Order: sequence, then C-alpha cells, then structure tokens
Amino acid sequence: MSTTSDVEPVRIALLEALRNMEKTWEVLAPRYGVTNPNPPWKTSLTAMCDCLAASGALPALDRRRAEDELADSVYREVPAPERQLLALVHIMLSRGLVSETDLVGRMRAVRSRLESA
Amino acid sequence: MSHTHKPGDGGAERHAAPMVEEITDFEVLEIAVRELAIEHGLFTAEDHRRFTEWTESIGPAAGSRLVAKAWIDPAFKARVMEDAVRACKEIGIDWAEPTGFGTPSDYMNLRVLEDTPTLHHVIVCTLCSCYPRPLLGMSPEWYRTTNYRRRLVRWPRQVLAEFGLILPPEVELRVEDSNQKCRFMVLPVQPEGTENWTEQQLAQIVTRDCMIGVALPRPGRTADIHPVQKARRPVQSSEHSGEPAHEHDK
Repeated sequence: MSTTSDVEPVRIALLEALRNMEKTWEVLAPRYGVTNPNPPWKTSLTAMCDCLAASGALPALDRRRAEDELADSVYREVPAPERQLLALVHIMLSRGLVSETDLVGRMRAVRSRLESA
Repeated sequence: MSHTHKPGDGGAERHAAPMVEEITDFEVLEIAVRELAIEHGLFTAEDHRRFTEWTESIGPAAGSRLVAKAWIDPAFKARVMEDAVRACKEIGIDWAEPTGFGTPSDYMNLRVLEDTPTLHHVIVCTLCSCYPRPLLGMSPEWYRTTNYRRRLVRWPRQVLAEFGLILPPEVELRVEDSNQKCRFMVLPVQPEGTENWTEQQLAQIVTRDCMIGVALPRPGRTADIHPVQKARRPVQSSEHSGEPAHEHDK
C-alpha cells in the first residue's frame, strides 16, 4: 500500500466551513429529480487533476496518496465527489499551489458572477 | 426542476432534463481553484478543455468492443495479446490521446489477461487507482476505495463473492496489481450460447465489471447496475468468521 504523503491531515478552516452535508450531490440530486450520478463539476475536477499531473505541478501518485490519507481521516464522512474535491484543494493549499486568502476572495467573486448570470 | 419549452413553430412540447437549480459551495470551489491554478500558470485553460473533452469521451464501450472482436476474430485476439495498445487502434482507441503521449495517469502499456475455464483474473491497484481509462473510462468509486484495494489481494474469493461472483474451487484465481508502468484488463471467457452472436450483440454483454474481473458475461446481462434481488438465504462472510486467506497471488 502507499507510503505516507507530505500532506498533513489537519483541519483547514475554509474547507471545514464548506463541508455542508446537506449540499452534497447525493442529497441534492434526488431532491431535484436528477439521475446523473455525478455533479456537473466532476468531469472538470478530473481534468484538473490530469492537468496538474501533466504539468508536473502535482504528480498523480502524490495526489492519490494524499487523497487516500485525507479520505481516511479529515474527510472520512464526506461522499465521493465532494471528498475528492476537498482533498485536492487541501493538497494544493498544503503545497502552496494556491493560498487560502486568494481562494476565499476568488470564491466570493465566482459566486457573485454565477448568481448574477 | 424540469422546464417545459414550447417551440415557436407550435411543435410538440419538449421537457428539459431536471437540473439542480442551486449554486453550491462545492461548484464554486471547483471553479475558483481551477481559475487560480490557471492564473498561477499550473496549466492552461486550453489544456483543461482538452482533458475535459477527453474525459467525457471515454467509457467502457471501447473495452466491450475489444473483447467482442477478440472473441470472434482469433487473429485480432492474437494481436491483442501481443501488443494491446497497438491493437486498440483497430477499434478506434489511441492511447496517445489527448496529448500525443497519453495522460500521466494512463501509462501506455496495456496487458490483456485472458481467462480460461480454469483460470480467472481480477484487477486492482493496491498503490492508488491505476485503471485502463482509454478502454474502460473512469474507474468506479469502489475500485478506488482502500477497502477493495486492501482486501482483494488478501481475500480475493471472498471479495468476489461480495460482488456476487462465486468461483468454483477448481478455478485458479489471479489478482493482477496495476501500477504506474502497466495497465491491465480482463478478457473473459465467451459464455456458452453466444456462439452465433454478432460482434455488436456480444459487446452488449461485456460490461465494465466483466473487464475488471468482478463479474462474468452472460446472455441477458447487459448492465452492471440492475435491480437488487432479495437474498434467498443469509450470506456468511468467511472473512468475518476468521477463515484464513487462501489466495494471494500478488
């Protein structure tokens, strides 16, 4: 099995605030009568993981190793697609690929943009 | 909720598929981190679009076609066993896509494991979740779990039984561990009663799980998802009863 990753299984305030279990796809999809097993952002997330690996910014094996550790600890009770997203962001924050400050600001801007559309 | 569109030409009403009509923090988070990654130069928007398109294009139907063609064309099967990546081009699958040299997660080395009446293969990736994506699409979630990955190599017959596949003791079972250097997929035995079927008919019964090795193809079974049947008797897990592992091939 895998060896230990370089990502600490600590709680990250921003991601803790986001893990609203009432808004996961497995809750929302049946509420709206949607049968697609994955949220619309899942394919984009997969592509992002491939892009990060292809550019060398985050090798696939490093990511999967850290994902496993986080899935068994910090995000244990989060369902699959959301868990993968939270784990990826957790890894990127831990490695300094993005900063929490930038992410908070960008999320605010993205939400504003989506809600104004 | 679903919308009803009334075309201006007075034609029949069209019902759009229902959508989740709220913006979740998860959706916002995915967009935000992707935008920042692009701005920081970790990858380009064009690369992301290309990988997204590729991800949406792959699925297990390609693997099903490969198996069906191998069943009815011995010469093709020989080419598959000799150089599976090259043989894939004959069914329209190029492992070099989408970059010209594949993806970092799909090392361009595929070995097809041929089952026989006395030999059954099942694949796993104990290290992470390596999977022949160009042929089978994205791996199912259970394939990625540590539960499957850890237990399959220790108690393969018990794990297969949990998928409803109970192999007779006389059938040898091999667990093949995928890795970053090689991908595997299973070429199951063509089931009896399908001898005169067309390639298209055969492909319909070769489901994703058959090519992983946790199910066997059979006439009438065309999907991995099917109605759950009521258990006819309690099932005792031999793992829980303390039975030692019998197989550990990798």
